[in-house]
Amino acid sequence: MFKRTIVTALLITGLAGLSGICASGQSTSAVLQATPAPQTWQSEFDEVCSKTQDAMTFSEEELAALIVRCDVLLPQLEKLDETRRKVYTARLRMCRGLYAYVLESKKNAKK
Amino acid sequence: MLTCWNQKRTRRSSGWLVMLALFGGIVFTGIASAQLYLPPPPPANAADYGKVVMDNFSTTLGPGPAVFDHWLHRSKYTCRLCHVDIGFAMQAKATGVRASTNREGYHCGACHDGKRLSDGKPIFAACSDAVNDKQCDRCHSVGKKDVRKYSYSSYTAKLPKGLYGVDWEAAEKNGTIKPVDFLPGISLKKSTMKSREDFSIKAGLPWVHPVTFSHEKHAIWNGCELCHPEIFATTSKAEAKYTMFSNIEGHHCGACHLRVAFPLNNCVKCHQRAPSWAKGN
Amino acid sequence: MSRKLFVASILFLIFCGQSILLAQSGTKKRRPLPYEYGRVVINNYSAKADLSPVVFEHWIHRSKFTCRVCHVDIGFAMKANGTDIKAIDNTQGYYCGTCHNGKTLADEKSGKAIFAACSKRVTAEDGRRCERCHSQGKKVASDYDFFHFAKPLPKENYGNGIDWEKSEELGLIKPVAHIDGVSSPRNPLALQKDFALNPKVEGMPDIIFSHKKHTVWNGCELCHPEIFTGVKKGTSHYTMVDISQGKSCGACHTNVAFPLTDCQRCHSKPVAAMR
Repeated sequence: MFKRTIVTALLITGLAGLSGICASGQSTSAVLQATPAPQTWQSEFDEVCSKTQDAMTFSEEELAALIVRCDVLLPQLEKLDETRRKVYTARLRMCRGLYAYVLESKKNAKK
Repeated sequence: MLTCWNQKRTRRSSGWLVMLALFGGIVFTGIASAQLYLPPPPPANAADYGKVVMDNFSTTLGPGPAVFDHWLHRSKYTCRLCHVDIGFAMQAKATGVRASTNREGYHCGACHDGKRLSDGKPIFAACSDAVNDKQCDRCHSVGKKDVRKYSYSSYTAKLPKGLYGVDWEAAEKNGTIKPVDFLPGISLKKSTMKSREDFSIKAGLPWVHPVTFSHEKHAIWNGCELCHPEIFATTSKAEAKYTMFSNIEGHHCGACHLRVAFPLNNCVKCHQRAPSWAKGN
Repeated sequence: MSRKLFVASILFLIFCGQSILLAQSGTKKRRPLPYEYGRVVINNYSAKADLSPVVFEHWIHRSKFTCRVCHVDIGFAMKANGTDIKAIDNTQGYYCGTCHNGKTLADEKSGKAIFAACSKRVTAEDGRRCERCHSQGKKVASDYDFFHFAKPLPKENYGNGIDWEKSEELGLIKPVAHIDGVSSPRNPLALQKDFALNPKVEGMPDIIFSHKKHTVWNGCELCHPEIFTGVKKGTSHYTMVDISQGKSCGACHTNVAFPLTDCQRCHSKPVAAMR
């Protein structure tokens, strides 16, 4: 009896959570897959690659974090249509390349 | 049926075949190399040395091929002026000179514009549109008689002569000619760079005397940019592989010393300590 | 028997082949005329579409935009045919279509829009518009005349005959460094000091390299790391042979930025002049 109650309570909470998320406008499948909606790759790209001018001022950790974000972004860009894939993967390559370059330079400067 | 005797014979004859092929290869290489190693002799008439016939469009469009005489122009201007500032290529027909670009003041039209002065007189306009200007034949002169203004013999009468034709180096040194290196409106004044010291270049074959190369003598005519980096790309002595093969094909030293500057078969001019019989014809 | 004949033939060919030398560089090519310098002919798909190859003139575009806007923000490659531009990319507002969209203004004074590149449906009138770019081998009128354009600008010896560096410094051209909606918003770059590179050739002045002069046009990512990969100072060796073949400095300084014949632009550390 007690077990049944717990299970029911959990189910109801879960459903409530899902409908709450639905209400806020996110698609259920997106939530379940934990991938951001298509629009966010653009804002992520803009955020990550707008910092190239400051690359020399970042620490090694910050640069490494930016590189990781670029690597996470790449598969999303590769799913785009041909035109945007061509454009954005090339831009990401240059942006990630710069961060990796600066990181490598900083490591070498220490030696 | 293959008997022992037959087998032996086959092996021997195929061995001969290999030897014959090798020998034939060596002989062929020798003949080919002899052709390649020796530079071709310059034209019998020194007036023809440095003559460039240009016919990208001239025949198809009417006036006939254009003839350019280096001896006339190099007595007045440095090589650098035309080949760097104005931008002529160093192979016949490679520039692609057009009447339209001449009229716009490019290539020949840089000087041949009817306005620029040479010895106080305006230089005739190239490819002029003017109805009464019949100067076309002065350049488009192939097969036409008495259309060119200057003759080689009278023009070069007072210039010092070398083994073959005019000794331009001596002419410049003693001031007989004063080649102009700056064209107002086209050239820009640049700070000069110091020439390197003369240095020795080892020949590829051990019995050939080394070449003493003088940057200074070349820079007088060419500046730096004429040769570097297009003709001589490398600055590392270790990487430099300039051979007589490439010279005779018109590359490296041969870019100039095949058809315009003193001919390649005057060995002693470069291989200074070579025996006197290596003076060339 | 035939095997030995084969071997003999190979040996014969080797002996003959060694006497034939293939000379690589070593001749002086024609110098492009000032208005031709920086011209790029693009022909990935034009011929297949029954159009003449595209002729792109750098001088028109570099007077209006920095190198980075096109080669980083828009994503053009730095080699002809390297970008793989298709008409559909342009019509969707990418590559050429970023500006050539029939809406973006060419300049505020005239209020004239930049003509659209490529279109989904082509009418008879469009033929002339197509030819404005697909113009190789054709005489096509342009809105821009090189002579009038170049006249007021400081002169240089080679390339376009225009000193682009000085033109930008004097404010005679104001190349745009940011396109809204395309370029990522960026902070201004921290200043880097000029430094000298020793060419290790007797008599050759040191090269004074200025990051500042380059970043005005290029930002960082255009060069690093794809063109200049070295991460440790003093370990990279740039030779004139490599440069003249389009590597390192030669990526730009062979056919768009001032050419290599302009030695003193780079080898500029003052030394005693000789002649």
